[in-house]
Parts: sequence; C-alpha cells; structure tokens
Amino acid sequence: MKALFLGGVAADTHAGIKDELPPGLTSAVIGEPIDRSKLPDAALDADILVSNHWRADYPPAPKLRLVQSVATGTELFDLAALPKGCAVCNSFGHETAIAEYVVMAMLALHHRFFQISGEFRERGSWATSWVQSGKPHGEVRGTTLGIVGYGRVGREVARRAAPFGCRILAANRSPRERDPEVERVYPLTELDRMLPECDTVAICTALGPETTGLITAHRLALMKPTAFLINIARGQVIDEDALYAALSGNKLGGAAIDVWWQYPSQNDPTRRGSRHPFHELPNVIVTPHNSGWTAGMVRRRWDEIADNIGRFARGDSLINLVTKT
Amino acid sequence: MKTVFLGNFGARPGVWEAILAKTTEKLDVSVLFDLGDSQCLIPALAEAEIVVSHIWKKDFPEAPRVKLLQSVAAGIDMIDVPSLPRGVTVCNVAGHEQAIAEYVILTALAWHHRLIDIAASFRGGVWSTGGGAGGGPTHGEILGKTIGIVGYGKIGREVARRAVGFGCRVIGANRSPIADKGDASEIYPLTELDRMLPLCDVVVIAAGLGPETTRLIDAHRLGLMKSAAFLINIGRAGIVDEEALYTALKDNKIGGAAIDVWWQYPTPDQPNRHGSRLPFHELPNVILTPHCSSATDGARDRRFSTVAGNLDRYVRGEKLNNIVLQT
Repeated sequence: MKALFLGGVAADTHAGIKDELPPGLTSAVIGEPIDRSKLPDAALDADILVSNHWRADYPPAPKLRLVQSVATGTELFDLAALPKGCAVCNSFGHETAIAEYVVMAMLALHHRFFQISGEFRERGSWATSWVQSGKPHGEVRGTTLGIVGYGRVGREVARRAAPFGCRILAANRSPRERDPEVERVYPLTELDRMLPECDTVAICTALGPETTGLITAHRLALMKPTAFLINIARGQVIDEDALYAALSGNKLGGAAIDVWWQYPSQNDPTRRGSRHPFHELPNVIVTPHNSGWTAGMVRRRWDEIADNIGRFARGDSLINLVTKT
Repeated sequence: MKTVFLGNFGARPGVWEAILAKTTEKLDVSVLFDLGDSQCLIPALAEAEIVVSHIWKKDFPEAPRVKLLQSVAAGIDMIDVPSLPRGVTVCNVAGHEQAIAEYVILTALAWHHRLIDIAASFRGGVWSTGGGAGGGPTHGEILGKTIGIVGYGKIGREVARRAVGFGCRVIGANRSPIADKGDASEIYPLTELDRMLPLCDVVVIAAGLGPETTRLIDAHRLGLMKSAAFLINIGRAGIVDEEALYTALKDNKIGGAAIDVWWQYPTPDQPNRHGSRLPFHELPNVILTPHCSSATDGARDRRFSTVAGNLDRYVRGEKLNNIVLQT
C-alpha cells in the first residue's frame, strides 16, 4: 500500500506522523514547490493521497481510494479528476483554536484593548485608568453574541462564551439541535431577525452558495452601530466594499478580520488582504488567516490523519468523510 | 443624613452623581474632590455620618460622627484603619470581579496567540508573522494550560469559571482555607505557594495587598515558575518585586507578563508618568495597561449600585452589605 503526500503542508504532516503510519505502507513525499516531473510515478500506484489539492491536469492516479485533505476545506480538490470510488476525507482540530481566537477578539474589541494598551505603551497615557477620569470601556458580560454558522467552530465558541455571561444566539442553514448555552438557533433564512439583537456577530460558516456574499450592505445596516463583527470563516461571506464602507463610516463599532478577499502570491508576497485599506482603520483587528494555526491544532490534525490512514489500511470505517467520488 | 463624597474617586464628577441617582433615601450631600483643601475638609468631616471614599489618611481632621465609611473601590489599602474613629463600619464594593476576569482571560489568550505581534506586523503588510496563509510559525493556545491564581477570592472564582470553558486546569493559592473551590481543582495554602508556581503556565496575581502578600512574588519565586510562564498582575503592584520582575522579563526567565497595576502612578505634575522607574514599556514581552482592568461600564454600574444600596440601607437602619471591618 502506498501513500502520496503532496504539497508543503502534506510534507510537514508526513514528517510529523511517519512513525505512526501502518507497517508495510510506503510513502512518496513531494513537498513545496511541487516537482511535476516526480508526480507521474508517484501518482500511478498511490492508494492514498494526502494533500490540500488535486488538479485536473495532474497525471493519472487510477488506484486512489482514500483522498485525505490536510485542511477542512476540500474546494481545491478537482473531484472530477479523481478516479471513481475515492473516499474524500477532511481534517479538523482547528475548531478549539479558532474558538479561542473568536472569544479573544470579542474581548479585545469590547475592552478597546489595542487602543488602551497601545497608548499606554507609546505615550504613557493613563486616560482610560480609574486614576484619571477615563471613559470606561466595555465588557462582554450581558452582551449578545450571534454566531452565524453553528457548526464545530460555532459550538466551541458558544461553550467558551457562555461562562462570561453572554447571551448567545446562532443562525444555521440546516436545523441544529440547540445546546443549553444557546438561547435560539435561527434558520439562516431568518438571519435578518437575529442581527439587530447582537453586540457581537461571529462569522463561523463554511463558504458555499448560501453563504457567498451573505453579509451584504443591507445586513450590515441591520446590525447595531456599536456592534463588532468577527470573521474567521472566509472573506467571500462578507461583501468587501460594504464592510469597508460600514467600518470607515463608523456604522459599526469595529471588526476582527482573519480571512481575506485576496491572498499573497509568490510574485506578490506582501499583497494586502483586500483592495481596501482595512489595515488603516483604527477599529479593526487584522490577522493573516491564522486564527486556527496553533501548535495544538497541527498536532490534533496530524493525529486525525494518521488515525484515518490506519483505519483505511485495516479496512475500518473512516472518520471525517466528506464525499465519495 | 450628612454624607460626604471624598477624594479623586468618590468625589469625581460623574461618579457621585451617578451613585446618588441610584439612591432612594434622602441624603444631605457634600462633595470634596481635593483632600488637601483642609478649609473644606475640616467642617465636612466634623459633621459627616457617612463618608464615601476609598481613602482615609492618618492626618485627616476629627470625624466624630462618622459611622459608615463606604469605599468605591475593592481594595482598602489606602484606608489607614488605625486612624479611623471607633464605631465605624468600613464597606467596600464588588462588581469588578467579572470585568477583571475578562481581562485575565483576554491577556492570557492574547499572549498565547501572539495577538499583538501578529496583528501589528500584519497591519504593516507582513503575512508570515502568523502561520496559516503566510506559512509562518504556529502560535499557542490556552487549551490544556494550567492557570494558577494567587489569592483565590471573588476574582479568582470568576477567572476559574471562564477558564474551565477553554479546557484549562485551574489551581489556586489562598491565605485562609477555602471551603468551596468553585471551578478550581486544587487550592494550596499560601504558605505552599512554592509548590504551586512550578505547575503553572499562567500565574494570576489576584490577592489584596497586606503584610503576607507584600513582595510575595520575589526573584526566588519568579525563578520557580516555568521559563515560558505568563504572569498577570491585576492585584496590586506591591505584591511583586519590581526589579526582580523586570530582570526576569528582560532576561526571558519567564515568558511574559500582563501588568495592569503599577508601582507608581501619575501625578498632577507628571500626568504621563510611567508606572515603574524601570522601562517595562520597552520590553516586547509585556502587555501593559493603565490600571483599567476593572474600568468597564458594567463594573462601574455594579459598583455604583452597591454603594447606593448601602447608603439606603444605612439610612433605613438595615444590615449593610460588603462589610470589611468595624472599628
């Protein structure tokens, strides 16, 4: 049995799990940048593909039966280019790290953390302190958090936010059983009823036809003018122009943005995440799509991938099955 | 009932009015912001039965009628108890503990996630400080971390409640024995603090300042902590040895610190005075805030309600809340 680890993340994964792979499994590793000349031989007899992508112009891989994504999203796999009968599985382990980021961003925004700690460090300003007559900052206790997309990440956010005394609402495409910490799960079609209630809105949904451009200018206007928006999902869930207009026009309280509308490329490694200068807005926390990128996440993801390869080798049922080709 | 609001907190514009707006009983109120104004202080204290202040100085004039000293803060370290007349009930306020617990979790998260560094360099256009799309190094998380709380009171309990939601283990150390541990898994006597410190990824100083806690965290105890440990001080600066902490942070003997309470404070002459004579503000591994962890809108509202409720209770002859001591 042979596994092909293809791409940079897959090569790192191989290094992390090689001692846990089933005996008798051979591995071919093609890291970043991908050497296309090695691909035909490596693909021809591979039973397992571990990667974040598969392209239509790749050479045939007729024996593939398990396609194990190193990420949660599988949109970079061209399913039509894979042989029939492949199980496509994804991996998680990021949800707890992202949930930490969401709660952290919510706290930082309500507490005006960057402004207060920045001005104290840079200018020795005590203006927000009790020793001067500083304007109090906010807290999350008693505020309403709305979670758009109540999946793995959303649930972990709710679990962590509830002990702070937040009221928690959620909206989800498919019906979800309500966990005790959530007051109500709206259908996504009734999102417009949830948004005006929220002091913080966290976008935790997958990108799909129902969620592309979901947060429009109209929906941003339904939010409280003091509300904070946190996006850890995908940039395209939010209308880029509308969000910039709302934030720069102070129609929203602020935002934490981890996912972007455009990404750096080899030719343009410092490309900004948006054609608008979000990075110049004082009420926005910007991070480079790394909310889930913790050491713990990498370890958990490796464990899941090693587990699934072991299951496949033994003929056991797989975890994290997304689809079959 | 003669009531005087005193000092730069109780008599601050916006504070005393907000407290009075929450009272229902009739009070005869005077307000004195400047404690150095003895011309006003002498007659005010001569007549007052209720004093709303977080300060009582040794050299205060006679206050023969005062029965209730209601602080607007939690700590009573600025109240010189021996110089109070006999028969005074000193009450403090709570309601800050939830706000401070939020600050503790926020700074613990921000440190482990390297939020300040990553956000600042990304603002400058650099993707690779954080991992993910930029392919940079991973950051940490608080899942599975051990949080040790020095002084396991109201704040400690609120921190513990929130931290367990993140999958943290919470332990504590307290001077007096604790019957109900709340969400903490173990509480050490303060005398056994040295056994607790080496176990902690995060150490939270939430104790009051007193004889047992002054310079409690010294060079030796900082040395007992993990080399990656993160220290959060929301108690009082005097609990931590200023020089020892600066050295430990500068030499990376501990991972980092979040400091909200300071060894020195601004004065009218030096409004932007740094909180220490040592340049903590130049260290990259320190999160610094100007004694504001409790300065939330919600905490103020809860505190003012507590003060107003106690003033009403006193006037009605009812039992007071938040009694700290009686002289």
